[in-house]
Amino acid sequence: MKSVSFTPRFYVAAVMLAIVLLIAIIGPLVVQTDPNATVGGLYDRPAGWGPLLLGTDNEGQSVIANLVYGTRTSLIVGLLAGTIATIIGLFVGIVAGFRGGLVDNLLSSLTNIFLVIPVIIVVILLSVALDNRSIFTLAFVMGITSWPWLARAVRAQTTSVRTREHIDVAMMSGANLPSILLRDVLPYLLSYVVMAFVLQVSGAILLESTLSMLGLGPTNAVSLGIMLYWAIAWGSVRTGAWWAFVPPTVMLTIISFSLLLLQSSLDELFNPRLRRGKIRRKKGADPRFELPAAEGPSPQLTAAGVVEGPAPIQDTPKEGGR
Amino acid sequence: MTNLLDAANIRGVYYTPTGEEVVGVDNVSIQMAEGEVLGLAGESGSGKSTLGSIISLTARPPLIVEHGSLAVDGKVQDLSDMASIPRVWRGAVVSMLPQGAMNSVSPTMRIRDLVFDVMRAHDGKIKKDEALDRARDRLVTLGLPTRALDAYPHQLSGGMKQRVVTIISTLLNPRLLIADEPTSALDVSSQKALIEMLLEMLEKEIMSGVIFVTHDLPVLRTVATRIAVMYQGKVVESGPTNTIVDDPEHPYTRALLSSVLTPEPKYAKIRIEGMRAFDRESFKAPEVKH
Amino acid sequence: MNLARYFLSKIGWYLLVFFVALILNFILPRLIPGNPVDALVAQMTRGGGASGDAVKAVYENFMKEFGLDQPLWKQFLTYVGNVLQGDLGTSFAQYPASVNSLIAQALPWSIALQLPAIIVGWVVGNIVGAIAAFKGGWFDRGIFLSALFLSAIPPYCLAIILLFVAAVQGGFFPVGGAYSFGLSPEFSLAFFGDAITYFWLPFWSIVLVFIGGQAVGMRSMAIYENGADYVNYGRGLGLRDNTAVRYIFRNAMLPQITGLALSIAGMIAGALIIELVFSYPGLGSLLFAAIGQSDYPVIQAIMLILTIAMLIANFFVDLLYGIIDPRIRAAQSGDR
Repeated sequence: MKSVSFTPRFYVAAVMLAIVLLIAIIGPLVVQTDPNATVGGLYDRPAGWGPLLLGTDNEGQSVIANLVYGTRTSLIVGLLAGTIATIIGLFVGIVAGFRGGLVDNLLSSLTNIFLVIPVIIVVILLSVALDNRSIFTLAFVMGITSWPWLARAVRAQTTSVRTREHIDVAMMSGANLPSILLRDVLPYLLSYVVMAFVLQVSGAILLESTLSMLGLGPTNAVSLGIMLYWAIAWGSVRTGAWWAFVPPTVMLTIISFSLLLLQSSLDELFNPRLRRGKIRRKKGADPRFELPAAEGPSPQLTAAGVVEGPAPIQDTPKEGGR
Repeated sequence: MTNLLDAANIRGVYYTPTGEEVVGVDNVSIQMAEGEVLGLAGESGSGKSTLGSIISLTARPPLIVEHGSLAVDGKVQDLSDMASIPRVWRGAVVSMLPQGAMNSVSPTMRIRDLVFDVMRAHDGKIKKDEALDRARDRLVTLGLPTRALDAYPHQLSGGMKQRVVTIISTLLNPRLLIADEPTSALDVSSQKALIEMLLEMLEKEIMSGVIFVTHDLPVLRTVATRIAVMYQGKVVESGPTNTIVDDPEHPYTRALLSSVLTPEPKYAKIRIEGMRAFDRESFKAPEVKH
Repeated sequence: MNLARYFLSKIGWYLLVFFVALILNFILPRLIPGNPVDALVAQMTRGGGASGDAVKAVYENFMKEFGLDQPLWKQFLTYVGNVLQGDLGTSFAQYPASVNSLIAQALPWSIALQLPAIIVGWVVGNIVGAIAAFKGGWFDRGIFLSALFLSAIPPYCLAIILLFVAAVQGGFFPVGGAYSFGLSPEFSLAFFGDAITYFWLPFWSIVLVFIGGQAVGMRSMAIYENGADYVNYGRGLGLRDNTAVRYIFRNAMLPQITGLALSIAGMIAGALIIELVFSYPGLGSLLFAAIGQSDYPVIQAIMLILTIAMLIANFFVDLLYGIIDPRIRAAQSGDR
């Protein structure tokens, strides 16, 4: 990478993310309180350093302890689910794009069907069916339903990489399929996949909190979504016990915002077309003819996870190009 | 007699996102008389397209015109202040025919809509029927099917699109048409058709001059009356076509011509030497004007 | 004609997807180990002191009633048959209330809230994004950052904050529900006037987040199209700015419309949670209650309805796109 210039956007996102990670990883060590232990009465106000830093929730448990462990849980679920979804999407997309033909048709049809069936529906149905929802089963369920948009984008990119000469060279020199895919195709997709992974993780985190608020969250752990679930179910908003719901809300917002920002700045980094330049403005330059800081179609992150991914990096000309 | 075109001291610079300056056109002046086809020849990066875009008043950031003046029929405009140049100059005085007409028309509109909008931008009172009639006449005069008007861009073939866009560029009878590599994306027969159309339009005085930017020297042989050869942002040699082709003086022009693969009998006997036979330093010799 | 073929293939496609969704909808909840009827019976006979035989009788009764004694494939056919007749079954938790009646109470509220919110959010969001792209400068900067922020907030987080700030602390709006205690729904102006105060906060929660997302997307597309060849060419021919803007808008809309189909699914999901936050008596609250009570027929029915709604929305968007994009509408007659 020649001139890798990290934009301010990247640094802001990285700092925010670092703070969140710090809280998740170090937090439980600092806050030496068991989130399930009763440390006070119902909705006690925040008081001083220690377990009551953010007061107590509806079961008299320490909010700060729950917050810290909850952040950790949310992040773990998000990372797991995001990883699973990325791996599946990558696999399906590469195989479909590279093989073409019948394999491609089958995989693409499968992808398209699952693209249209709303993820949230399937996830809710699966979660309802599960008796004991552990972090891992939830992550698994979310992972196996969130891959279609990634598969579609990867397939498109793989198809274009497939037509390049070095692939023919590799095949003629007798390399077997897995090694071609790994060494000749994957490097071209890597930058996009990194971006997509970030998006998957944030989608999974949001999806988990959506599930938790419906009552389908992990049964043996506390997550940010579960904190909100209890906050709503026990009317903390109504009674004004802000310490019960504001911290998880703020934390979720920070996580979601910083991940989205990170993904957007990575997009700028990897896709040179999108780089905003400091073009010195000379007097008299006609602003109407300005070259834009172009950004392709933006990803859509919703309560149901990612519904549309970022535009794949195109270095093939648009239709009807030269 | 006033020249059709008098472009003086043009300097155009590209500003890269990292802040560097790349000089595209380095203090170039060219003149044209009525009825001329001036060929701007050169290799990639010579500045010919940049010069073309500046003269057609379509230069946009990151290309900045630092100084230069453009006089058409004696009327002068200051090129360093693009915003002050009257909008109606574009299309009616100077007009561009862009490289690769593929995406020149918005994919969601019909040709006739663009025709109407262009005409209306210069004559606010024109009625749609009138505008389309004029366009239809133009198409018929130049031997193109009138149904092209009703088509969407994706419904036209490459060659047809290029010719239709040529018509659109000359709808307002501009004084000067700047064609940027119009034949580069076409097959040989489409190239011929386009060139014939341009010459026919010139003869019918639809426009009074053409600047033909290309890297394809053999094409210039058939269409240009004068040629200006560019190298690294400067004009190194200019003169009548025959002089340039048969009797080039500047080392770069010589190098360029010696690398042309043309099955013309005259050249078949000459061994093609290519650029490597020449010392690149010699290309920095001063301009030769014929 | 190309267009007709396009629509027919789309209809066929959506029917296929619906069928797959139907199968999933049927099968997934039945993956539960154990029997939902157990829970139901336990509930009914709680605190009873019913004898073992009586419980067994009740149990068998329910099994027969819910068709759970049939083989799976037969259950599926019964299910499909019922669905096609519009019978969504009987609720477990609120037995003997029919699922239809429960949904009929909740659905209108959800539609009344979400439909206008999605429409307003989409239209306003795209307009704001387009204006920001063309104006540039500080206006653009400001709009972009706030839209980015809004689109990144999980919609229910915004709802919670709004609820707290505007309703609980500020007291400008009522804190929950759809209408004041003591009133009953009717088509009168008075009721409408009351219900509207409950409507605002959930409405704005949905709308603001949607505006954020659409504005960012539209702005990006407009900026992207601004540098397109046809814009430069048009300007090179002396076209006015307004005309160029018109071209840009028409082209930038296309990917936005495509994105709309997908956004709708996401927005509906988010809106359900927002209903929860505001105790709004729509499908969201119904779903929440049903989950809490393991009321599988209700859960299944709501999922089915949501799926149908999202598929229909997708279909209409595809229709719209086919009409608007001439590359699909106009046949490739060509002139080679």
